[in-house]
Amino acid sequence: MEDTVNSFSLFFNYGLPILLLVFAYFIGNMIEKGHFRNIRKREDAVHGFPVVSFDTMPEEWRAGSSTMVTGSIVISLDYFKRVIAGLRGLIGGRIKTYEPLLERARREALLRMTESAKEQGYDAVFNVRLETSRLANARRDGNGTAGVEMLAFGTAVKFAGRIG
Amino acid sequence: MKYIAKKPKEGINVSDVHPLVEAGTLVVGLTAIFIAIVLLLVFLIEAALYFVPAETEAELFADWLPEDLVTISPSDDRLYEAQMLVNRLSAHWADAPYTFRVEVDDSDLANAMALPGGLIIVTQGLLDEVESENELAFVLGHELGHFRNRDHLRALGRGIVLSLFFAVVTGNDVAGIGINVADVTLRGFNRDQESDADEFGLAVVYAEYGHVDEAWRLFERWDEQRNGTTGIVTYLATHPDAGDRVEQLERLAQRQQWPAEGEVIPLKW
Repeated sequence: MEDTVNSFSLFFNYGLPILLLVFAYFIGNMIEKGHFRNIRKREDAVHGFPVVSFDTMPEEWRAGSSTMVTGSIVISLDYFKRVIAGLRGLIGGRIKTYEPLLERARREALLRMTESAKEQGYDAVFNVRLETSRLANARRDGNGTAGVEMLAFGTAVKFAGRIG
Repeated sequence: MKYIAKKPKEGINVSDVHPLVEAGTLVVGLTAIFIAIVLLLVFLIEAALYFVPAETEAELFADWLPEDLVTISPSDDRLYEAQMLVNRLSAHWADAPYTFRVEVDDSDLANAMALPGGLIIVTQGLLDEVESENELAFVLGHELGHFRNRDHLRALGRGIVLSLFFAVVTGNDVAGIGINVADVTLRGFNRDQESDADEFGLAVVYAEYGHVDEAWRLFERWDEQRNGTTGIVTYLATHPDAGDRVEQLERLAQRQQWPAEGEVIPLKW
């Protein structure tokens, strides 16, 4: 009986979190890989569409009309990434598990912005900016992050004539 | 300037390290660091024990009581009898540096502990569970053994070490890992101390009664009814298994040729 109690408490103290970690790792990994595949495919589809970060329009461009385009994504950590980042937080250094997450967010936000410009019939986007904001806390004590928003925005232009 | 469309280059913003490798490195590395810190602190505690003699400790903690202690009524018979029993037992420890004080905690969980300055705390639950004076004498003798080996200070030091760890990792998702590593590392030291204290306790019981009959009867009962309350499970968590203790004590009594039969004194309450 005592052995049963011990194995139960052992399971709840160590087994459950480890099981959760393994699940979070596999599911998170699957989703991440799928997302990167999807991003690459869509980047190929908009390839050649000019997206630049100059804050003034390049001289060669003759704009007929313009508008602001935005693209944003809200993305969250999985348990595995969070735990590993927590360990990293004890000693410092590059939080390697967060890097691909934010990379996905940046590229997805830029893609959404670009796709929106293309859909509306614009020819190029300049003055592109990226902004990140942290969403609500995941825990009641004010710690933890529920997710981040990545916002990409810029000025889309429709060309009046041919580009030089 | 000519605009040339380029696809984003991959692998610049993302470290080329497999997440499992990162996880493995961190877990193994941090575990090693935690164990090293705990061992260092244990060493420091031992050094402190070496430099602070028991007499100084007894003086420092002469009137000390834990703040969260809830005692039973001071006029309770059980408190008086337990104190009298400790006085008799400690007489067998010549030149003991402590003046032993007994307090009875009102908890129903069977437990006893040795605290700085010669303070012995027994719980009401323990006093209700023992069935003869001999059983109680062994438990109290065991606590005297902790004082003799100064385990009570080690326990205190380790408690401080654990709370230190807790303070460092508080607010962190992985708080549990550090605590568990520290706890498991420390628990290894604990069981040896318990066996040593058992030996001293039994020697004291023999010195007092001239036999060791019924001395470990309490542990036999616990071993028999293992499906008992959770209180027992908690009590045993940091101690050796009740059955193992009984075996060890039997072997010790045989080796020392302490009579296993004798007059068992009933409780006075």
